[in-house]
Amino acid sequence: MQPATVEVRHLTKRFGDVLAVDDLSFSVEASRVTGFLGPNGAGKTTALRMLLGLVRPTSGQALVNGVPYRLLAQPVRTVGAVLESSGFHPGRSARDHLRAIALATGVTLSRVDEVLELVGLRSDGRRRVGGYSMGMRQRLELARALLGEPAVLVLDEPANGLDPQGIAWLRSLLRYLASEGMLVLISSHLLAEAAQTVDEVIIIDRGHLAAKGELADLLGGGGSTVRLRTTEPERLVSSLAARQIACRREEGDAVVAESTTPEAVGRVVAEDQIVILEMTNSTESLEELFFSMTAGGSLPTSQPAST
Amino acid sequence: MTRLVRSEVAKLLTIRSSYALVLMTAVGTAGIGVAVALAPHNHGLQRLIFPARGTPAWYDIVFSALALAEDFALVFGIIIMTGEFRHKTATPTFLAEPRRGRVAAAKLVVSLGAGVVVMAAAVLAAFVLGLSFVAAGYGDIGEMAGRLGHVLPGYLAATVLFASYGIGLGALLKNQVLALVVGLGVTAVVEPILIAAWPNVGRWFPSEAARSLETTSRLAQSGFGADLGHLLPSWEGALVLVGYALVLSLAGSLTTLRSDIT
Ligand SMILES: Nc1ncnc2c1ncn2[C@@H]1O[C@H](COP(=O)(O)OP(=O)(O)OP(=O)(O)O)[C@@H](O)[C@H]1O
Ligand SMILES: [Mg+2]
Repeated sequence: MQPATVEVRHLTKRFGDVLAVDDLSFSVEASRVTGFLGPNGAGKTTALRMLLGLVRPTSGQALVNGVPYRLLAQPVRTVGAVLESSGFHPGRSARDHLRAIALATGVTLSRVDEVLELVGLRSDGRRRVGGYSMGMRQRLELARALLGEPAVLVLDEPANGLDPQGIAWLRSLLRYLASEGMLVLISSHLLAEAAQTVDEVIIIDRGHLAAKGELADLLGGGGSTVRLRTTEPERLVSSLAARQIACRREEGDAVVAESTTPEAVGRVVAEDQIVILEMTNSTESLEELFFSMTAGGSLPTSQPAST
Repeated sequence: MTRLVRSEVAKLLTIRSSYALVLMTAVGTAGIGVAVALAPHNHGLQRLIFPARGTPAWYDIVFSALALAEDFALVFGIIIMTGEFRHKTATPTFLAEPRRGRVAAAKLVVSLGAGVVVMAAAVLAAFVLGLSFVAAGYGDIGEMAGRLGHVLPGYLAATVLFASYGIGLGALLKNQVLALVVGLGVTAVVEPILIAAWPNVGRWFPSEAARSLETTSRLAQSGFGADLGHLLPSWEGALVLVGYALVLSLAGSLTTLRSDIT
């Protein structure tokens, strides 16, 4: 079987005056988990809904396996989707909700109990969804996404409302599915969680693509920042500078070398026989990358006035 | 398409409001039937002679309560369509079948069945009511059942078509409350006014088209005395209702149903 693909080309969506998605292009590969990140209102949900044929693009295309979602022969067996503000009839049980979808798509009814089991809702499956907690509804959404055993998973904030066990379970499930060859595209605001889950990130800001690449490359690409304390800060700065390592003095006896590696700094220190009191190494976190790539969203970032 | 129809049937069978609607139709039909049957014979406002209890003509009037099923079928059709938007199940529904017109078509098919079920409940209630009157000494069972059998086809056709008209209205308007207000408002307010003022316009409206299908006596339909000469021939009335269902569904599929699901 051909590996699944997702591709977005010059995708644009305008809601009245609001340009929600603006000439967005990217492609996503199978066998990996791709994070789709961006501040509130960046256009993630809109882009994913266009990919799923629920929102009509103003211009551009969103393709799954080379065709628009609407033209897929078996959409539910090709793409599984978890979406915010997807609904349930409150009076219908989870099992009946899934069975109606299974009937519409030719998925065997026994698969309904399988996915309920998988998401931990087996014993609650006959209860009316109106009585479900937020996390249970989210699990039901996941069950629906997995119903058709799709090769592509599109998840909009799937961890919403999940308890810590649920989040850990979801992470290992997504890692496992990607290792089995699945294409997983997941939007999330939980950056620490995403950093543990994704192989690749796409960051969008105000509808534009802000960054895309392997998570490791994006975070490690700039090298790491090495902080040192030394008895001879002036001499260390000139030694580092002599080897073209960007550095600066900080308060007291501290020196910070940037965009380098601990090994490179260590060699300089050893060659010039400088006494080191302390040395720490830090790489950029996904959160720092996110902040540097996005304008911080449309919400005010200033401190709330104290009352 | 068969799959979609089965899915739509499963959806209806797994919510209480479907059963509630069917039950309400039965109770409402029986209630109106009783009220009509017990209405005083010589009410001052009634210009025409009210037929004697137990006569076939009297049973015609009692069974005119079956017309209530038309309104319930309309509500049913509207709910089948607009419930998807009200409860946001449109997202999973259209993920499963992104060709939205096919979903509307499946709902149209299912609405016909829903109309039959609503009518069955009404007829059952009417029959039980009829049996009670026979037991109380009004007329005989053969005549009673005969009248019921005579009026049934017309009400059935009108009810089934009203359910599909509800689908069309729901597809076009999408908003449940709006569709109910428009659907019932046209039937209960707009049409009576039109009929009084411009009967030749009013007859093209849904309830008047439905009335042309009814095989009951004009006396039972007329509310005692109104002139019903304006009604369309029944085959035209049927076409008009089919037209409402199809044209509204098609228009909805091309406009509202295509709109963004956000
Ligand atoms: N149906 C709609 N009508 C009008 N504007 C909309 C609609 N849906 C989204 N928008 C606007 O489009 C922009 C992008 O919204 P979207 O929901 O895609 O953002 P998001 O990245 O998913 O945000 P969040 O992180 O809060 O979920 C926002 O400005 C939003 O107000
Ligand atoms: Mg969103």
